[in-house]
Amino acid sequence: MGALNPDFRFGNFVGSIVQLVLFILAFVTLLVLPIIFFVLFFVPLPVVDGQVLTPYLFFSMMVDPSRTIPVIQFLIHTDLFRAAVFPGFAFAALIAASTIFLERKLLAKMQLRVGPLYAGKIEGIFQLLADGLKLISKEIIVPSGADKVIFWLAPIMFVSTSAAVVALIPVAPGWVAADVDVGLIAVFAILGFFPLIILLFSWASNSKYPFIGGLRALHQMVAFEIPFLLSALPAVIFAGSLNLSNIALSQNLFWNILVMPVNAFVFFISSLAELERVPFDLPEAESEIVAGWLTETSGMIFGLIQLGNYLKLYALAGLFVLLFLGGWYGPQIFPPELIPGASTSDVSLLRLVALEGLYNPVTINSIFWFTVKTFVVILLMLITRGINPRIRIDILLHTGWYKMIVLTFINLFVVLTLIYGGILGPGGLISVK
Amino acid sequence: MAGETASQFLPILYLFGFGVVAGISSVMLSRLLSQRRRYNPIKFLPMECGQIPTGEGRSHFMMQYYSYILMFVVFDVMLIFLYAWAVTFTSVPKEATLPMMGFLGIMFAAMGYALFLAGRKGIW
Repeated sequence: MGALNPDFRFGNFVGSIVQLVLFILAFVTLLVLPIIFFVLFFVPLPVVDGQVLTPYLFFSMMVDPSRTIPVIQFLIHTDLFRAAVFPGFAFAALIAASTIFLERKLLAKMQLRVGPLYAGKIEGIFQLLADGLKLISKEIIVPSGADKVIFWLAPIMFVSTSAAVVALIPVAPGWVAADVDVGLIAVFAILGFFPLIILLFSWASNSKYPFIGGLRALHQMVAFEIPFLLSALPAVIFAGSLNLSNIALSQNLFWNILVMPVNAFVFFISSLAELERVPFDLPEAESEIVAGWLTETSGMIFGLIQLGNYLKLYALAGLFVLLFLGGWYGPQIFPPELIPGASTSDVSLLRLVALEGLYNPVTINSIFWFTVKTFVVILLMLITRGINPRIRIDILLHTGWYKMIVLTFINLFVVLTLIYGGILGPGGLISVK
Repeated sequence: MAGETASQFLPILYLFGFGVVAGISSVMLSRLLSQRRRYNPIKFLPMECGQIPTGEGRSHFMMQYYSYILMFVVFDVMLIFLYAWAVTFTSVPKEATLPMMGFLGIMFAAMGYALFLAGRKGIW
C-alpha cells in the first residue's frame, strides 16, 4: 500500500470525481444520445410483431419489458447473431475459457500445483484472470532476422481459422452458423490449413527450435490426416449426407459409437494428434526442443495461439459428439413451460421471466446435452494429457501410417457387413431412417 | 436438398472476420499495455538456451519423409472418391459396392508395397 500524497485534499478528490461525472454526462447528452436518435430515425429498422421498430415502440418497451421479447426473437434468428454469439464466436470462446479453467484445475490436482487450486476465493477462478493479465501485459519480442509480416500475421490467422471451423459445428437442430451441405468436408478442408500456418510461423521465426518443431507438426498432421478422415466415413454411410446436422439427426435410434467403436477410438486419437496434445505434443516437446514451434512466441502472440488451440479443441470435441456420440440426443429433462401458466397471465414481468415465445424446451434440451457430451469428450482429452508421457516420433509415424489406417478399414468392413447382412440400414432389422 | 450457394458459406467468413478482429485488437491492446524496456541486442537474438546462436536459423535437414508424402497425395484423392461413394451409398444398387471394393483392394496393395518400401533404408 502506498502512502498518501502529502498535499492530498479530500475536497479536491471529490471535486475531481464530480468533474468527471459532469464530463461524462455532457458527453452522453451531446454525442451519444444524438447518435442513438439518428440511428433510430434514419436507419431502416426491422419489422417486429407486425410493427416497424420505431423509437416510440422502443420507449414503450421501457414501460412493458415483455415487449422486448419479439425483438430478441428477431435478433437471435439473424445470421450475424449466430456467427457472433450463440453457436459461433462468443459461445466457443466461453467454452474455450472454461476448458482452460478445467484443464488448469485438473492438472493442478494431478501434479500438485498450487495456483489454479487456490488463487481467488472461488475454486482458483483468479488463475484465469492472472493468466490473461500476464499474457496481455508482456512485451512481444520479435526475434532479429524474423519475417515480420508472417510473424505478426500467422497467430491471427491461427485464431481466425480455428474460429472458421467453429462456424460449422451445429449445437441443436437448426442452430448452426453455417449450414453447409458439405459440412464434414468443409471442416476437414479448413483443418488442412493448420500445418501450413504452423510451418509458415516456424519458418518466419528464423530460429532452429521452431523450425524443427514446425516440421514435426507438419509430419504429424499429415500422418494422422488420413485416419482422421477415414474414421468419419461409416457415419456418412449411415446418414447419407455430409451435412453435420443430418449426421447427428441420423442417430436418433442409436449412437454411432455402438456400431463403430474402433472408428471412434481412431478419431479420438487422430484429433489428439491434430491438436498437438499429449501424448502427441512432439511439435512442442519442451524437454527436447525448448517449446518447439512456440519457442519464439511471447506475450499475446502465444496467447492468441493458445486461444486458437482451445477453439479448435472445442470444434473437434463437438465433431466427435456429432459423429459418434449421437449429437444432441438425450432424455428430455426440461419442462414444456418454464413457469406453468405464465403465457395466459396478465403480469408482463412474469411473461418476461418465463421467456414466453423464446423458450423452446426441445432446443434447450438439445443444447444442454450437446454441451454436456462435448465437455465429457474435452475432459477425456484433458485426462489423457495428465496421465501420459510423450511418445517418440518414429512410433507416432508408425502408429499413424500402419495401424490407424488398417483399423479404420476393418471397422468400415464391419459396418458394410452389418448393412448387407440386413441388420442395419434401410430395410434392415434396425432401420436408420 | 437445396443447391449449394455461395451465401451458405458466408457465416464461415463472418467467423473468420471475428477471429481477425479479436486477434488484431488483442495484439494492439497488448502493445499499448505492455512495457517496452530498453533496447538490448541480446534480447532479440533467436533462443538457443542462453548461447550465442550459430549458423542459419532456416537450415536444411533430412527428415526421411518423402515416401509418406507420396502416399498422402494418393490417399487424399482416394478419400474424396470414398466420400462420394458413402454419400450415395443408400441410393445406389448393391452391385455398385463391388467396384469400390476392387478400388480399395488396388489401393491397399499399393499402400502395402509403399509402406514396405518406406521401411527400407538406403533408397530414399
